[in-house]
Amino acid sequence: MHEARSEVEFDALVVGGGIAGCEAALNIANNGYTVLLVEKDLSIGGKMILLSKVFPTLDCGACITTPKVSEIARHTRITILTGSEVGSISESDNHRFKAGIVKHPRYVVDEDCTGCQLCEEACPVNVSDQYQFHLVGRKAAYIPFSIASPRIAAIDMENCTLCGACEKVCPTKCIDFTQEEEHWTVSVKTVVIATGFELFDPLGMPRYGFGLYKNVITSMQMERQLAPTRPFHTVLRPGDGKMPDRIAYVLCTGSRDTSVGNPICSQICCMYSIKQAQLLMGALPMADVTIYYIDIRAFGKGFNEFYEQALGMGVNFVKGKIGKIIEKDNGNLLLRYEDVSTGKLHEAEHDLVVLSVGVLPNKSMQSVFQDLSLLEDTYHFIKQDDPILNPARTSIEGVFVAGTATGPMDIPDSILSAGTASAEAISHIIQSQ
Amino acid sequence: MEVVKGQTFRYRREKYEVPAEAKEQLKYYVKIKKAILDALKENELTIAQLSEILSLPKHEVVYYLMTLIKYGFVQVGAIDEMDEYYTYKRLK
Repeated sequence: MHEARSEVEFDALVVGGGIAGCEAALNIANNGYTVLLVEKDLSIGGKMILLSKVFPTLDCGACITTPKVSEIARHTRITILTGSEVGSISESDNHRFKAGIVKHPRYVVDEDCTGCQLCEEACPVNVSDQYQFHLVGRKAAYIPFSIASPRIAAIDMENCTLCGACEKVCPTKCIDFTQEEEHWTVSVKTVVIATGFELFDPLGMPRYGFGLYKNVITSMQMERQLAPTRPFHTVLRPGDGKMPDRIAYVLCTGSRDTSVGNPICSQICCMYSIKQAQLLMGALPMADVTIYYIDIRAFGKGFNEFYEQALGMGVNFVKGKIGKIIEKDNGNLLLRYEDVSTGKLHEAEHDLVVLSVGVLPNKSMQSVFQDLSLLEDTYHFIKQDDPILNPARTSIEGVFVAGTATGPMDIPDSILSAGTASAEAISHIIQSQ
Repeated sequence: MEVVKGQTFRYRREKYEVPAEAKEQLKYYVKIKKAILDALKENELTIAQLSEILSLPKHEVVYYLMTLIKYGFVQVGAIDEMDEYYTYKRLK
């Protein structure tokens, strides 16, 4: 049973509720136009809202994302659909687009949930928490994370045992297991694509042992370990709970590597690794942190100073390409690497290895456009009409692109890109009137 | 079937079966949770000690123990002299 909604009109459709999508939606709405923001996840804020701090200022990621996210949530001209996906977009009459949207059931009545978490407390189920990158468990009735927006519970139906414990304790009786998919058809004048990026899955590089060696983790797992809402009580090895004191970063994991099909630089890994190294030196003052790199690309404002600051703090930088990681009996890891400057092979022992995973294109928009051709660039990011002169325009008139959907970039560049896309979208709305 | 507010899980149970994997997962978690809490009843233990008592890999102990800390069943104790491993104690 599907609940079909009649056609609803908005001025703009923004696909993706990460920082770029939020910025674009806010700009368009602040100029007097109505916006529908569609996010596939249960919360807006994208990857940024999960970051501990941002480089090079070391501002708290959550603290600078939350005000923007709450401004969007309260904006009278922005309608947000979370847990929803754009299934199709086609051209309709009068220079408008028609979009088909699927809103997946949350099994909670949004308006009635107070975010009290009593359902979470009562739920007996424990499953791996995707928002903590599987380092710890969560319930099947859950609020995604403490600063999620909207702060509304959801039921993970794949893992729910239908015991009814959540419903029994819910003070507002907002849990509703009868919910089904909702199908929306919306008519819009313009579309902004802000679908962001995917992170490289290091299971695709078996020589690094991720998945097999429990003390080899990804940079997002370390990011969570460094956040105030961390999965562990301090920074620990997931393999045995030891506080690490010799931590290695392997840069360019899944970037600049044709063997995994991604020859380009991800642009953010050098700097986020340097940021994490600095934070680790604060969290674990006795720890040695070594960064194995091919090149340090500290190209943005204040980036090189940030790199030098890390050097000054004692972070060890080794220009070396890691060939293989081997686990020892005590859970420590041997890194075999080639010293790029001498060409010699070396081995170094560390007790925790962080893989600085790269940025991959999000291909979710590939099949969405019907009878319209949304072109991609060589690396499957959305092709910009002209990266210098028209960076927000795509191959479809009236469809614009923002943030990392166009290629790897950092947070300030994503926000700038969203500004450009929203200005183009507003101009298109005005012209089409 | 009539849908009663506050008991809609019954409606869902009539229409769909609970996945077998979800049931197994719950059983396993309940078993591990009981075993960890029982082991911590008398003494503060390290992850290595819990791993030995429960015959469970250390990484699994870390996962479940940290989850029990999150849910408020277990508390962090002291760290050893080498500043490497913590002990953990039962809270509830």
